[in-house]
Amino acid sequence: MTESPSEVPAAPVAVGIAERYGEMVGALSTSGDFATPRIRVSPESWVDTHRTLKEHLPFFSFLSAIHWSTEVAVGDPPEEEVEERFEVFTRLSDVSKGEGVIISTDISKDDPRLPTLVGVFGGANWHEREAHEMFGIVFDGHPNLELLYLPEGFEGYPLRKTFPLLSREVKPWPGTVDVEDMPSTENVEAGEETGEVEGE
Amino acid sequence: MSDQHLLAMHHSEVQVSVELETPDVTLNLGPQHPSTHGVLRLVAKVDGEVINEVEPVIGYMHRGYEKLAEVRTYPQIVALVSRIDWVSGYASEVPLMVAVERLMEIDPPARAQHIRLVLTEMARISSHLVFLSSYPLELGAATPLMHSLRERERVLDLIEMVTGGRFHPNFNRVGGVKPAAGAGSDQKKVVQDLPEGFSQQTLAAMDDVIGVCDDMEDLVLGNEIFVERTRGVGIIPTDLALEYGVSGPNLRASGVMFDIRKTDDYLPYDRFDFDIPTGENGDCFDRYHVRLQEIRQAARIIRQAIETMPEGDLQAKVPRIIKVPKGETYVRAENPKGEMGYHVVSEGGRGPYRLKIRSASFSNLSVLPWLLKGQLVPDVIAILGSLDFVLGDVDR
Repeated sequence: MTESPSEVPAAPVAVGIAERYGEMVGALSTSGDFATPRIRVSPESWVDTHRTLKEHLPFFSFLSAIHWSTEVAVGDPPEEEVEERFEVFTRLSDVSKGEGVIISTDISKDDPRLPTLVGVFGGANWHEREAHEMFGIVFDGHPNLELLYLPEGFEGYPLRKTFPLLSREVKPWPGTVDVEDMPSTENVEAGEETGEVEGE
Repeated sequence: MSDQHLLAMHHSEVQVSVELETPDVTLNLGPQHPSTHGVLRLVAKVDGEVINEVEPVIGYMHRGYEKLAEVRTYPQIVALVSRIDWVSGYASEVPLMVAVERLMEIDPPARAQHIRLVLTEMARISSHLVFLSSYPLELGAATPLMHSLRERERVLDLIEMVTGGRFHPNFNRVGGVKPAAGAGSDQKKVVQDLPEGFSQQTLAAMDDVIGVCDDMEDLVLGNEIFVERTRGVGIIPTDLALEYGVSGPNLRASGVMFDIRKTDDYLPYDRFDFDIPTGENGDCFDRYHVRLQEIRQAARIIRQAIETMPEGDLQAKVPRIIKVPKGETYVRAENPKGEMGYHVVSEGGRGPYRLKIRSASFSNLSVLPWLLKGQLVPDVIAILGSLDFVLGDVDR
């Protein structure tokens, strides 16, 4: 990190941004890890938070969600056990200094619902439809909560961690035609110790 | 009753109904229409020539990259993301690599960053040249297509010279750019640098690219028919653009002087001089004009970067197996189409726990139902084409 100071903004800057915007909306917590300002709010203050921050951060970048679950059908489970829940997050930014913040909230796995942001940011419309079909989150008050990408009659919520990836089920990886073996865990340890450069 | 009599009666009935009311007609555009840059379907309700309501139907190109990424390792995902926006494949790879490097606290060498920057700007020129040529075609002018695709081919050749690929370079590695050739585990990998003659050929190509911009300015922007069809058509107001997340040249055409290359630091753009072209009216004409000017600026950046290309390594020291420590980060980049960002959530594994891909065309297209309301049917293609979207970038 020392050679090129312009590569990664110093973490304190991100922390400062998160705290400044977090204070405006009474955030539950703020953080600026990895140069990414983030604030957490309660589901009850979800819409008001966005309404307040819209004055300062008018650019609506995206809305999406994460399914936190210790039981996973695809990929690796989280490092530590997590409480199963959905985290919905948006990113707002300004169009002058390039400041931006990620706003997130946790909602329950049994009845995942949030009020819609369409009234604040019209652009949330398609993003909420995507989160609805992919995670099964209901956005109350959404004008048109129908499938966006998926074909009619599709069952299940593909981006939930409990949704299996069919192609991996029928054809595990690495397959018989893969040239290189999947590196074993021992190699991982060895590679880390020697700091070996890929390709040497 | 004679046939003629019947016909006359029928005729008079039609006339009466026209005078009383015109029922809305549903007009289907696509999914396979040459102007849709992929498979997009528009369901429009039209009243005569006026569009009352339009609903874009997307998803024909949905490949589920966000799910796929959860079972892939980071180096594998690079090969996926260059297929999101295939007109500027290289540009999509960079922000993902920067996100991974940020989480791993790896700093790529200056030379690798310069090469990334040059190739990103080349991808921008290539993408914008496609727009400059295909948009007049959609409006009925075929000549510009032949004209600017020739220069685009030269830019693609340069990208191919370095990366070996024209559309899907898969040229980025964590910690730098791909330095090694040779496949398989028992073959010695050879470190490769920029090919010989690359600098001279690039500088020569940039002259021609600027030349074609001048030609297009005369040929297209100076064409009365083009001006008549695009001036004041499809105006996106600034506040609406921001609310919908419209970014890139589409946003700048609406008068917002904002460029992620100036504010963020995913690549060392702060070392080069370049301007941010903006429009005044936010109409189709401005969106064309802004992109044309951006090509000149991109060529300007590439010239400076080639002249100041630092020596050194192409890749930082990285572990043989890429494992990313626990953490979350969002890195965005100014791609030819707009803001392209990756929100990487790592749980310490070799692949992400969750990868959210923020693509520019998705948000740019989402403004369409608003934009087409009340417009005339002949203007639909003019407005649609001016947004410069790629369906792979919409559907991911």
